[in-house]
Amino acid sequence: MGFLVTTLIFVVVGIIASLCTRICCNRGPSTNLYASSLTLAPLLISQLHLTLVITATVSCWMMWAIVYLAQMKPLIVPILSEGE
Amino acid sequence: MADSRGGGGCCPPMDLFRSEPMQLVQLIVPIESAHLTVSYLGDLGLIQFKDLNSEKSPFQRTYAAQIKKCGEMARKLRFFKEQMEKAGVLPSLNSDAQADINMDDLELKLGELEAELVEVNANDEKLQRAYNELVEYKLVLQKAGEFFSSALSSAAAQQREIESRQSGEGSLETPLLDQELSADSSKQVKLGFVTGLVSKEKSLAFERIIFRATRGNVFLRQTAVEEPVTDPVSGEKVEKNVFVIFYSGERAKTKILKICDAFGANRYPFSEDVNKQSQMITQVSGRQTEMKTTIDAGSLQRNSLLKTIAERYEQWNSLVKKEKSIYHTLNTLSLDVTKKCLVGEGWSPVFATKQIHDALHRASIDSNSQVGSIFQVLDTKEGPPTYFRTNKFTTAFQEIVDAYGVAKYQEANPGVFTIATFPFLFAVMFGDWGHGICLLLATLVFIAREKKLSSQKLGDITEMAFGGRYVILMMSVFSIYTGLIYNEFFSVPFELFGRSAYDCRDPYCRDSTTIGLIKVRDTYPFGVDPVWHGTRSELPFLNSLKMKMSILLGVAQMNLGIILSFFNALYFKSSLNVWFQFVPQMIFLNSLFGYLSALIIIKWVTGSQADLYHVMIYMFLSPTDELGENQLFPGQKNLQMVLLLLALVAVPWMLFPKPFLLKREYEKTHQGQSYVPLPSTDESAELEAAHDGSHGGHEEFEFSEVFVHQMIHTIEFVLGAVSNTASYLRLWALSLAHSELSSVFYEKVLLLAWGFNNVFILIIGIIVFIFATVGVLLVMETLSAFLHALRLHWVEFQNKFYEGDGYKFSPFSFALIDLEEE
Repeated sequence: MGFLVTTLIFVVVGIIASLCTRICCNRGPSTNLYASSLTLAPLLISQLHLTLVITATVSCWMMWAIVYLAQMKPLIVPILSEGE
Repeated sequence: MADSRGGGGCCPPMDLFRSEPMQLVQLIVPIESAHLTVSYLGDLGLIQFKDLNSEKSPFQRTYAAQIKKCGEMARKLRFFKEQMEKAGVLPSLNSDAQADINMDDLELKLGELEAELVEVNANDEKLQRAYNELVEYKLVLQKAGEFFSSALSSAAAQQREIESRQSGEGSLETPLLDQELSADSSKQVKLGFVTGLVSKEKSLAFERIIFRATRGNVFLRQTAVEEPVTDPVSGEKVEKNVFVIFYSGERAKTKILKICDAFGANRYPFSEDVNKQSQMITQVSGRQTEMKTTIDAGSLQRNSLLKTIAERYEQWNSLVKKEKSIYHTLNTLSLDVTKKCLVGEGWSPVFATKQIHDALHRASIDSNSQVGSIFQVLDTKEGPPTYFRTNKFTTAFQEIVDAYGVAKYQEANPGVFTIATFPFLFAVMFGDWGHGICLLLATLVFIAREKKLSSQKLGDITEMAFGGRYVILMMSVFSIYTGLIYNEFFSVPFELFGRSAYDCRDPYCRDSTTIGLIKVRDTYPFGVDPVWHGTRSELPFLNSLKMKMSILLGVAQMNLGIILSFFNALYFKSSLNVWFQFVPQMIFLNSLFGYLSALIIIKWVTGSQADLYHVMIYMFLSPTDELGENQLFPGQKNLQMVLLLLALVAVPWMLFPKPFLLKREYEKTHQGQSYVPLPSTDESAELEAAHDGSHGGHEEFEFSEVFVHQMIHTIEFVLGAVSNTASYLRLWALSLAHSELSSVFYEKVLLLAWGFNNVFILIIGIIVFIFATVGVLLVMETLSAFLHALRLHWVEFQNKFYEGDGYKFSPFSFALIDLEEE
């Protein structure tokens, strides 16, 4: 239903984002202080990016899911103010 | 890469997650190539030298004389800089003249330049003083000349009057005065006078003192000079008065002269003769113009001198700084017994081995040394420094973590998750996509002008905002997201993602203000339903939602923290920490607060009316009671009893086994002291020892200390589980405060102003609204949300796994020196 579909969208967005970081941010560590190059670096840095993307996606999904679930079976309904 | 030094292959090696593997290295450098070697290593910037001469005072060290020399040169350069600032000459930044300069030549050159500059300055000062004196003299001549001419004319008028009276009928009204006057004029005394300048502030006191000292037997006249005059002595601009003092007698004169000196009043000779006066004025003017041209020529010469200095200043400065740091580093190396080579020890990342090799090789070739340098890795029990390779994006986040404590060597770095969770928690408290966009635009300005701004000096606050520009970028992006979830754009909701789920119960909407609307459609797909805004039940609904959300997010983050402690235990191969710390902690937290989170979700999904407070409280007070109407699912009572039991078991599980097992392990490894312990067990023992606060490896095992430590840890965790969960409620409080404040500004300022139907009031309203939004919501609320997010990370998240008692890798690097000293 709505919940599952949107969750799926989050999963898809997360996957796309992690693929994007793999493509875009594969330049290795652009250390600003110590110039250094390492052959393994691209692989490592993408792992960091992957972790970040997953963490961010999960947090965002959690936030959405909480708000969505809280409104599914409302115990309180909106009562309009007198003025309106 | 990580497993080269006792790392478990359990978790993926990730940049930033653990410190770079470090090694203690030893360098043996022949003395003739030592300087070049250190200079190359400074360019590389990947080695942190240990001070091997810490017992020696700075004066006893090998290169103390050179350091003193460099200090002297730095002083000269500072002097040049001061002079350049005074003259308004800016050091040019183009360092194309990168010709190699010998340090000795540079020293000579700096000395010459300094001497020249000092001489020019002295001459300039002398001339300036003479010039100022001339200016003052001229003023005195003018002003005193005015006195005398006015006095002369008034005297002549008086004379005429007296003459006319005497010749006429004679004044009947004032016969006595007449007499006096005539007597006065007839009895002429030779009066002396002094002319000069005194500063305006002191003039009153000056006058009074002179009056008193001479018992009133003086005649003093003052006039203010319109423009401030440069005082020849101090060289400052001072408001001054020209004075003329008439006195009689030598004694009065000496007194007056003394007083003049005491008041710093400059005296100038003056002649009564009018012709002479005008002659002097022209003479003084002539000399003044002459002096002026001389001074101009002098300052021209000075400026050209300073300009030549300015061209090379930056180069010299960095050269001297480098040189000084090289000698400081050389001083940390110890001299070999044969006095032919220097031995240095230091930490360097493992990946830099090859680069260091290269640098050493190049140095020995370039310095034509007979022998090459020796580079070897030492084995040590000392804790290496922690080194994360950060880039401009991750640095700011890593600094947030480092401000709390630098990670212990190779322990899990909370900085990795902080990059995502810190802005997220911030945004939970700062959820408004209008404000988010404002923040985003502000930080995009910083990022767009990054290159320009990073090279120039900024104010304190701008500097801070600029340093954290990527943190603010992430924060603003996340707050746009949470703003969409909260459905707030400057507190105004929008129906962006479909129609509201609620509608009136009947076509006439009679009950909408009493019973309320009814849910007729599917749940609003993304975020909070816009219909809630402004309703009477908005606050109860949002409070319940945000409070529960805070607990869910908090429990999730604390679980993440405990899981990280599991990764740490795996990495350091400590099964003890897995079974007697990680597992009971997980069980304890989740059987209480994990269960609460589950209840919250179940309640939402089923729409049950159960009272969760009641459930949680009676889970402790009387776990065997029937739940009645508060039951959310079948078998809840039994589950609760099991969970409660698990939580109760988890506490002693955390407390007792670990100290006893540590003791047994210690005894086991120290039974056969003659045998060398195996490296792996040794390491874990050492690790535990280090964990308990002693770093030596084979130190006495204090059971009581370990036990007390474990007890504190357990109590902290058990109490912390409750208080930390409660602490996450700040997410609710701050996000509520933010949305309420912004809606107050919107309704009470903008809408109120709109209601007047007056353009003028509307404009004022808009201005007030903008200022309130920027000042209170964008600046103050950002700060407070930032601080609370910081606290949640430092305390609630990091205390689950982070020791933070390491020390930072601070390599010898020229790039860092330049940054430091600015």
